[in-house]
Amino acid sequence: MSKKSRYSFLAAGFVLATLAGCTPGGSGGDSGKTEIKFINGFTGGDGDYMTKIVNDFNESQDEYTIVQSQEKEHYTKFKSGDYHLVVMHETNLETYQKDQLIQEAGPFMEAAGISEDDFNEAGIQSGLIEEQMFGVPLDIHPLTMFYNEELVQEAPTDYEQLKQLGETLQSENSNLYAFGLPSTGLTTFYFTVAAAQNNIDLAKEGYLNFTDDAYADALMQYHSMIFEDNVSPEKLGLDGEFQAFMKSADDGAKQTAVTMTGPWYYQAVKEKYGDSLGIGKMPTLFETPATTGNAHTIAVAASVDDDAIKDGIAEFLTFMYTPENLANWAESGQTVTHLETLDYISEDPEKYDLANVNQEQLEMYTPAPRVYQFDEQMRYMNEVVFTKLTNEPNLTKEDLMKELEKATKASKQVADTQPE
Amino acid sequence: MYMTKRTKWFGFVFVIPFLISFLIFWLTPLLYGIWISLHDFRLSVGNNGFIGLQNYVAILTPTTLYHDVFMNTLKNTLLFIALSVPPLVLISLGLALLIDHLPNRLKTFFRTVFFLSYAISVTAVSALYLWLFGANGGFINNILLKTGLISSAINWTGDQPYAWFVIVVATVWWTVGFNMLLFVNALDEVDVNLYEAADLDGASAWNKFRYITLPDIRNISIFVMITTVIASFNLYGQSLLITRGGPGQSTSSLIMGIHATVFGNNQLGIGSAMALLMGIIMMLITGLQYWASYRNKREETGQRREPKQRLKRALNAGPTNVSQQPATTVEKKERKIT
Repeated sequence: MSKKSRYSFLAAGFVLATLAGCTPGGSGGDSGKTEIKFINGFTGGDGDYMTKIVNDFNESQDEYTIVQSQEKEHYTKFKSGDYHLVVMHETNLETYQKDQLIQEAGPFMEAAGISEDDFNEAGIQSGLIEEQMFGVPLDIHPLTMFYNEELVQEAPTDYEQLKQLGETLQSENSNLYAFGLPSTGLTTFYFTVAAAQNNIDLAKEGYLNFTDDAYADALMQYHSMIFEDNVSPEKLGLDGEFQAFMKSADDGAKQTAVTMTGPWYYQAVKEKYGDSLGIGKMPTLFETPATTGNAHTIAVAASVDDDAIKDGIAEFLTFMYTPENLANWAESGQTVTHLETLDYISEDPEKYDLANVNQEQLEMYTPAPRVYQFDEQMRYMNEVVFTKLTNEPNLTKEDLMKELEKATKASKQVADTQPE
Repeated sequence: MYMTKRTKWFGFVFVIPFLISFLIFWLTPLLYGIWISLHDFRLSVGNNGFIGLQNYVAILTPTTLYHDVFMNTLKNTLLFIALSVPPLVLISLGLALLIDHLPNRLKTFFRTVFFLSYAISVTAVSALYLWLFGANGGFINNILLKTGLISSAINWTGDQPYAWFVIVVATVWWTVGFNMLLFVNALDEVDVNLYEAADLDGASAWNKFRYITLPDIRNISIFVMITTVIASFNLYGQSLLITRGGPGQSTSSLIMGIHATVFGNNQLGIGSAMALLMGIIMMLITGLQYWASYRNKREETGQRREPKQRLKRALNAGPTNVSQQPATTVEKKERKIT
């Protein structure tokens, strides 16, 4: 981390201290070993699997030790702290590279004995910025379909099948629906999948352009799915696609037979449905088959220049990118992109059921647009536009277009803050 | 009192911890914040140089992203203050009066019960209210649907005005105990002889409250109102966790806006300018409250009412109970109050 960045975080600390108060974090480690500080945001069920890899590495080592921090706000902590390694989403790589907070990962991969050829195409793309690897590919987490086999026997593959399923379920119980659209939460994935399945490129000169007429039509289809076709309930709220899948129509709640959600909910849905849980590929809601989502990569902080730390990072990568170790990550439900590990887990489809299904849809995986501050450029869309699509029955395309213009204007202004 | 040089120095030593804390935790951050707000300061890449008042101009220019964020979140925060301060003051006063009239052995128990919610973290409070007010299968919706009071589920956290209702109810439930405790202590200080004298003269409960209780707890009431306004200005956890600032950014608070500007957009300079503008607005509102209170007090001081006069007013306003003597009778008798 640069000196300037440290000052800026100190200043941010002052602002926060006056606003809310804060507690500084800390780290420890075994004495006599070189410490590599590793931060990630795996605070959910997947956190334990990453911890297992870290612990196994530490047990195998006399020379290095990984000090892991799992934080919900891990990006903020990374900007502030003296971390060496960070798990970074593919959508953030460009931003952190332009802000000079991370360095090229290629030399570390080389030292660890791994190369681009060890990963599938989706994995390679997740770590690349302008033909250079800035993130070591870890996994892809695409929109994943879970379904309740008690309500639907086979995974629906397109919107027509979902619509038909909805009609059948509605005739049985008015609280049963085919699937649910959330008002907020995972809406970024729904926005990008609408673009990907309609072959629309949202990126334009460094910002996200949402004002494409075809894109407005595609988004209005989400509106129709609720208010015309009755395939999804309206106003499901935060993470509604997942919540509605977990409810029971017998209790008076709106229940869905299918959910298109993040794979990190795998443990929760497995616990609820057990053997009745089905896993499928993302169905074609629009024109062409495609799925979107995000990817995890491992990036190295720009401040890392100590040779011992560099060697330690390479050692850790060597350990992690062996099929036996990386399979732990696949067990959490994440779809690893390391080819040898994919071969390894395909030998045990029951243990790695989700990863095995999801690796089949990596061929149709379309990464999110690479723009500076992607999440901030999407903020207005996520916080305002999707809520309108799912909550306002009288929304017209003209109303939507006005909102898309506002979202594009905000996106442009965020893009303009990019350092020169 | 005569003070030796040594005594003065000794006294100064006791003030030093305060001075150090004041310098480190108040003055330095404030001055540093002002300095940052005058620079193009990014959280990620650091200081890009002095830019004068450009950050303030960016916030106050209607076409910019930061203006939209600041004005929208300021409007939401002011609305929350208007919605939350009256119940937070009135309900806490009501609870304090209720406790004040309880037998002594029950007072401690109920004081603890009403204060207990204040000890819970905002995360737990938000989780509880999300469960209660869930749109799909939430507890409140289930009850309302089963009793036939509503025909379709209410989207409590996703539609207005329900979203504000949930946030205000959660805030009142969470923090009302603190204000109540201040009022309980203030009520303990009211001279009981005044009530006894008023009872003897047949004053109604309302008149005793209006002319004896309220004037005696006036100072603490002003303090409670000012601190409640300041606390409401700092709305963050409830709207972040219960509604995520929605629907459509309508419950996004000023602090959420500043947080997004600093940690989302990396715009530390603009975020600091927003925080300072927020501080100025808070000071103006607090100053206005002080001024309004001071003005009323001065008016009252002009026609200063001693306890005897206040009691007389309580009696003149007349009893509400038919068994009590009519006000006119009391007035005619011009009873001498000792």
